[in-house]
Amino acid sequence: MPAVVGVGYYGFNTNTPDMSWKEIMYEAAVRAYEDAGIDPRRDVDSFVTCAEDFYEGFAIFDEFVPDQLGAVVKPTCTVCADFLYGLATAYMQIESGLADIAVVEAHSKASDMKTFGEIIRHAMDPIWLKGVTRAHPYYFAALEMSYYMNKYCISEEAIAEVVVKNKGNAILNESAPYGAKLTVESVLNSPFVFYPMRKIEIAERADGAIVFVVARDEIARKITDSPVWIKGIGWWSETSSYDTRSFEALYAYKAGKMAYKMAGIEVPVKEIDIAEIDDRFAFKELQHIVALQLAGKFEVCELMREGYFSRNGSLPVNVSGGNLGVGNLLEATGAQKSLEVVLQLRREAGRRQIDCELGVAQCWRYIPTASGAVAVFGV
Amino acid sequence: MIDKIVDPEKLRHFPPGGGKIELYWLYTSGKAGNEFFRKLREGKFIAARCKKCGRRYFPPRIFCEFDFSETEFFEISGEGCVEAFTIAKLDLNENPMEEIIALIKLEGTDGRILHLIGEAKDVCIGMKVKPVLKKVDEMTGTISDIKYFKPV
Repeated sequence: MPAVVGVGYYGFNTNTPDMSWKEIMYEAAVRAYEDAGIDPRRDVDSFVTCAEDFYEGFAIFDEFVPDQLGAVVKPTCTVCADFLYGLATAYMQIESGLADIAVVEAHSKASDMKTFGEIIRHAMDPIWLKGVTRAHPYYFAALEMSYYMNKYCISEEAIAEVVVKNKGNAILNESAPYGAKLTVESVLNSPFVFYPMRKIEIAERADGAIVFVVARDEIARKITDSPVWIKGIGWWSETSSYDTRSFEALYAYKAGKMAYKMAGIEVPVKEIDIAEIDDRFAFKELQHIVALQLAGKFEVCELMREGYFSRNGSLPVNVSGGNLGVGNLLEATGAQKSLEVVLQLRREAGRRQIDCELGVAQCWRYIPTASGAVAVFGV
Repeated sequence: MIDKIVDPEKLRHFPPGGGKIELYWLYTSGKAGNEFFRKLREGKFIAARCKKCGRRYFPPRIFCEFDFSETEFFEISGEGCVEAFTIAKLDLNENPMEEIIALIKLEGTDGRILHLIGEAKDVCIGMKVKPVLKKVDEMTGTISDIKYFKPV
C-alpha cells in the first residue's frame, strides 16, 4: 500500500502578487522534498501535476511543468482534474511497479484570473446552457441548492452553521486567509446574491500550491517513521447533462463507496475520525457529508446544529476551515483537504490538532460538474 | 475581517490590461440540436425517446446515455413545472444585475430545461410555466430563441 512520506505547501493567500505560479510550485516542492528527506533529481521516478489549461491562462500546461519540480528529463504527466485524481494516478503508477517514489502537485493562482466568471462559464454546454444568461455561473450552484433544500427540507440555519463552523475553525489555521468569528444570526442577516444563496456561503478564491511525495510500502517505511497510508481512493462522474443528473452529489457517494471498499471500511460514520469535505458553497458540505455516509439525509441539519461536526464534536468536518475558511483552491482543493488529514494523522496540526487515526478527504470538480474524488488516509 | 482584497491589481502594478485570450469557436448543435431549433421556428418543441428503455430526453439527443442506444424524436408541449430557482444578482464580472433562473421539468419528458423566468411577480417551486418565443425573423437557432418561460 503506497504511503504519503512528505508534504509541502505554499500559501494560502487571497493573492500572491510577489510570486508567479511557477514559483509557488517550486516553494511547495522544495518543502515537500525536505519533509521527505529526498532529492528529486535522484530519488523520484514519476511526477504528476493536476491542472486545467483554462485556469492557467495558457495551453498545454504539462509542457510548463518539469523545471520547478525538479522533474526535467524524467517521466512527467498532467492530469486535467483535481489533486485527488493525480493522487490516484500516482497510486496506480506505484502499485503497477512503474514507480517506487512518485510526486503529486496541484496549485491555484486564482488571483491571476481577471475573468473568473467567464472562465467557469466556458465549462457550460455551449448549445443548451451557456447562452441562457450572463449571470455569474455561481447561479448554477444556487439552483442545485434550491433543489436540494426543497427536496430534503434543509434549513437556512443549518447552512449558516456550516459557515460559522468553518470560518471559525480557520481562525486556528495560520494558513487560512478567510477565518472569521461569526454567529448564525449574522450569517442569516447577510445579503443574498443568488437567492437562496448568500454571498457569505460562497468560498472566495485563494492562491497556494501543494506537493505530496508518495512511496511504495517498503520504501516508505525506510524513508520515514510516520508514513500516512493511502488506504483507499475513488473517483466517479455522474453525467455532464443537467437534465439527467441527481443534483444530490451521487458522484461523492459513489467515489466514497469505491474508496471505502478498498480501505475495508464498512460503516464510515463509526470508523472515520476526521473528514475534510468540499464546501465551496456552504450547502455542499451538508450534501457531501450525507453522500459520504457520515450522516443520514434527514438528520444532517440537526447534527450540524448540535455541533456533531465541530472541532470538538464526535466527527470533526473541515477542521482546517474548509474552503470557506481557506479559500477556493481550484484544482488544489482536494490537495488542501488531503494535506489537513495528513497533518492531523501525523499530529502536526498544532492548535487545531484532534485525536484521529483514520481520515477522509473529498473534492468535487466544481461548477457545473457532477464529478469528484475521495481518498481515505490512515496511520 | 470578512472582506479581503482578492484582486492583486489593487495592490501593485502589473502590465496594463494583463493578458488576453481571444479565441472564437463555431459550436455545432448537431443532429438533435438542429432538429430542435428548426422545429422551434414553427413554435414546436421536440424531445427524444430511447428506443430501448423508453426514457424521454429533453434536451433531445440522438443516443441514450444509460443504454448507449438510439433515440427517436417526438413532439411535446414545451410547458413545464419549476423544480428549482434562483434570483441572480451578480453578472459574469460580479457587477449588479437581476434575473430569475429556473430548472424546469418539462411535461411529457423525463428531462429539464434551464432557462429564465419572465412576466412573473413571484416564483415558487412547483409553479407551472410555458415558453415565450422570439419572433421567427429574430431567431438565430440558439437557446435564446426562447426568450423566457412565464407562468401559465
